[in-house]
Amino acid sequence: MSDEKHDDVLLKVDHLSMYFGHGTFVKKAVNDVSFEVRKGEVFGLVGESGCGKTTTGRTIIKLYDATSGSVYFDGKRIVAGTGAYKDEIKHLRKRKRELAKSSDANAAKELEECARRIGELQNEIRKAKYDHKHCDDEFRKEEKARINEEYDALIAEAKPEDVSRLQREKRRKLRIASRTKLVTQIQMIYQDPVASLDPRMTVREIISEGLIVQGVRDKKYITDQVYEMLDTVGLVHEHADRYPHEFSGGQRQRIGIARSVVMKPKLIIADEPISALDVSIRAQVINLLNELRETMGMTILFIAHDLSVVKYFSNRIGVMYFGNLVELADSDELFRHPLHPYTRSLLSAIPLPDPDTEKNRVRIRYNPLLDHERTDEEPLFREVCPGHSVRCTMKEFEAYKKQVEEE
Amino acid sequence: MAEKKLSVKNLRISFRTSNGKVQAVRDISFDLYKGETLAIVGESGSGKSVTSKAIMGISAGNAIVENGKILYGDKDLLKISEEEFHEIRGDKIAMVFQDPLSSLNPIMRIGKQLTEAMILKNRTARKESKKDIKAMLKAMESKMEAAGVSNASSYTQRFRKMEEKHTALESEYTDALELAKEASARAENLLVALANSKDMVPSGDMKGFIHACKGSVSRFVVHERANEMLQLANSFSGMRKEAAKTNDRSKLIDAVTRAKEIADEAIALDTPNTFTLGCYLTFVNSEIPKTGSVAELNAITRKTADDAFLTEFLDKVKQGVCKSIEETDANRLAAIEQLKAELPVFQGEPKREDVKAAAKRLVPVVERCINPLEVVKDSITHTFESSIDYAIDKYYSGIENNEKETARYEKQQRKYDALTAKGKKPEWSVIPAGLVDVDALRNDMSDVITEITAHLQEQVNSNREVDADKRTMEVIDFLKETEQRAAYRITKGVARERAIKLMESVGIDNPRRRYRQYPFEFSGGMRQRIVIAIALTANPDILICDEPTTALDVTIQAQILELINNLKEERHLSVIFITHDLGVVANMADRIAVMYAGKIVEYGTSRDVFYSPAHPYTWALLSSVPDLDTKAKLESIPGTPPNMIYPPKGDAFADRNKYALEIDFEEQPPMFKISDTHYAATWLLHPNAPKVDPPEVVMERIAKMKEKRGGNDE
Repeated sequence: MSDEKHDDVLLKVDHLSMYFGHGTFVKKAVNDVSFEVRKGEVFGLVGESGCGKTTTGRTIIKLYDATSGSVYFDGKRIVAGTGAYKDEIKHLRKRKRELAKSSDANAAKELEECARRIGELQNEIRKAKYDHKHCDDEFRKEEKARINEEYDALIAEAKPEDVSRLQREKRRKLRIASRTKLVTQIQMIYQDPVASLDPRMTVREIISEGLIVQGVRDKKYITDQVYEMLDTVGLVHEHADRYPHEFSGGQRQRIGIARSVVMKPKLIIADEPISALDVSIRAQVINLLNELRETMGMTILFIAHDLSVVKYFSNRIGVMYFGNLVELADSDELFRHPLHPYTRSLLSAIPLPDPDTEKNRVRIRYNPLLDHERTDEEPLFREVCPGHSVRCTMKEFEAYKKQVEEE
Repeated sequence: MAEKKLSVKNLRISFRTSNGKVQAVRDISFDLYKGETLAIVGESGSGKSVTSKAIMGISAGNAIVENGKILYGDKDLLKISEEEFHEIRGDKIAMVFQDPLSSLNPIMRIGKQLTEAMILKNRTARKESKKDIKAMLKAMESKMEAAGVSNASSYTQRFRKMEEKHTALESEYTDALELAKEASARAENLLVALANSKDMVPSGDMKGFIHACKGSVSRFVVHERANEMLQLANSFSGMRKEAAKTNDRSKLIDAVTRAKEIADEAIALDTPNTFTLGCYLTFVNSEIPKTGSVAELNAITRKTADDAFLTEFLDKVKQGVCKSIEETDANRLAAIEQLKAELPVFQGEPKREDVKAAAKRLVPVVERCINPLEVVKDSITHTFESSIDYAIDKYYSGIENNEKETARYEKQQRKYDALTAKGKKPEWSVIPAGLVDVDALRNDMSDVITEITAHLQEQVNSNREVDADKRTMEVIDFLKETEQRAAYRITKGVARERAIKLMESVGIDNPRRRYRQYPFEFSGGMRQRIVIAIALTANPDILICDEPTTALDVTIQAQILELINNLKEERHLSVIFITHDLGVVANMADRIAVMYAGKIVEYGTSRDVFYSPAHPYTWALLSSVPDLDTKAKLESIPGTPPNMIYPPKGDAFADRNKYALEIDFEEQPPMFKISDTHYAATWLLHPNAPKVDPPEVVMERIAKMKEKRGGNDE
């Protein structure tokens, strides 16, 4: 289990990497990405297509098995990759072989050191594998304990005629808890409202599917939940028995949102929820997500490429480029003082509804070979000023710091 | 004012569906000028794409064009046959589609897809151009004879002969130049391969290079060093074998470098004036004069060509042109008289036979008003016959239809009433009579006549100031251009080089490798670029972009927009840009048309629309997009667009409009003029309407933009 536990951090992504391919061909879709999402905030993730935003989102909800790094959700490690440990072990074993051949005096000592480290790492791998496999069990155990405690107290105080009802309720909840998974606390809203809904299911079936999988059998409870969700997302009860093709794009996206919200998740990963929508409907969907956040206290990881919307909607923004997180800051701060050259180029490309400024707009191009000085130093993610981090080398770090101070 | 490229007039399109007739486009008109970008903005379902597809002639099968014209050149695109459309679609008017995934063929290599259209279109373009030249020369001959030039046919014959020479020279030159470019590019690749890789370069690459080197040796391109180039080209394969044996590549590298130098030098040379050179070779001397530079050569041929033939020829042509203007003017005046006299036939309650006869009398009269020596074709006169026939047919079939519909309706209603009188409740309801507005159709008919009268009058007036010299030069330039087009043969190799250049210009790295790949190997942004490149291969006049960047992210979007803008500048393209993103429009558009429910609701320059929007729908669009300073709740547009099977009686936007007046639900607003360039269809602009300000968000934003602009001006 995790040692670090902040009260307000809901999701912690720690050195997460996701590589595709094998052998000599490796595509580093997500490479060493770390960030935290706090409770109740909207965290925006931006970047051009193919930079790994979506992969990050999908790795978090375990649609992919992470290569290395971990994701902590609500204090529990839900994703634990072992790639980094394995690589280190491989490296150490090679070193060991080298040392065994050499006759240096220090060799014996270093050999011992290596062996110790390998043991440590193997232990880590075991732990990671355990966490990866058993995080749901842990969650179930906790849930069960919570329910037991809650209902035991209730039953103790209850009047005799209520006892049997409460016990039934408790049994039902326990049954659901024994089948639940931690990942159900994270729900996803997909980009394409047309493709993400099964055309052969009615809206009622689509929305209630998650509940049924969890083991809810109470028909009335399900119906109530479905209607409640339809109300929440601004649809009417009659819509429950229609099929997705009978709805407009905006309404379909609302159904997608209802499907995620019905599970009462703590975190919603919204993967470009508005990119495929018309302008007038975009505003409706953004307003809806904003309302949900306020009324239900949900946290949202908002993945998008439309920067003006991200700026409007998010509290903090992370900028990704080719699998790396290059800059992370409060949204106002990021737009006021963009530091990384890629962020600057991204901001300069935002189209604005103002013909005169648009005609004179100079787009900054980003060329990673030219915009950074050539060094062998691997750039790292460093905090330039509180709450504002940039991926940079030591030299750039100093320059950015100076720049921030001047401004 | 700039030349009008395309004009859409009173276009009405609807779709037949099982639920009824969906009125997708309702009576829209706009013009597109040369070198401008017209943006059409609106929600999905507002009819933007339907309009653009009608222009391309690819409307869906159930579409019905109810009324209107789309004039391009001498053709009405709504009335020409599919065969005629083949010559326009893709060649003159090209389109970039919204979805890059579905608009490429997945089982064809990118290169093939790029060059296919180029090669095919080139073939038809050449055929077409040859026909044009023949027609033009014939017209010229007859006009010259009419002007009293003796032996007119000898002039045109000599001109043709000269043109043939010119054509041959031109194609020789372009072929050689393309090959020189290829040689240079191949040499570069070879040098890289020789310097870096351990293996010997493949013999295929070498052969291609040798072929290009040999081909580039022409009379103008590698002029002075032709012999050296040939020697080098012949020695390459030997050198390669030797280098493979001894593993010493320095000699080969030197030779390739030298060949590349020569090719580069040749590419940098001035372009020879093949037209005057052709003239020189035909009339003065059959040998190319020996000179130092291409510039000198051009000067010599220019002078001798003028002396030998061109000055005299131009003079004669001018006489012909003058005569032709005179004649057509006389014809036009006569036509105006007759049109005015016949107009009453089309008004009142005309009989079909009378109208038909009048139209038959008028058509030849109007056709005589076409000046055969005019380069820019006058669409209204050319399409007169089809327009008048169409209007007449529409009117009388409308009357018939109305009679039938009324009869049916009455019968059905009687049956229904009888049933209800008996106390039964029928399960069916009476379908209302689908009546056509006959008055409007009759007006359409007489409008055709008044329009052409006004148009001819205008032409007569403008012809008084016309400069005969200018006209003559236009004719000659036209012949030259068309001849060049006829001569420009695109072989597979040339097409490949051009395609690679295009791929480079749309920002694709490593085009030579990419050329051989399949669409699935490209990312979305790259695929969209390929689609744009394909649209540009045929060098179109008009480019229609249907939401080309909606699926792309900001950086790529900015690149594509820049690319389209640059190409527009370079090639004087006219662009129709369809989108729902107002931010994109601000960057691109010269003029903007905002569409809603099949109608244009606001129309103006981009500054008009962004700085002083007048229609509530435009306000709503502007306020529903967050900009970088927005903090307040977004103003979304409530509700959804109306069902276009039963379009609302009044203003279509009234239901979703919080500024709607009572009259908005009753009557459709006309287009109110705000300034010379700015029009909007909303009752709020009526002098009796209460004064309403745009929503605060929009006002604030405009104020902010003004402030920014003020800052820039200082």
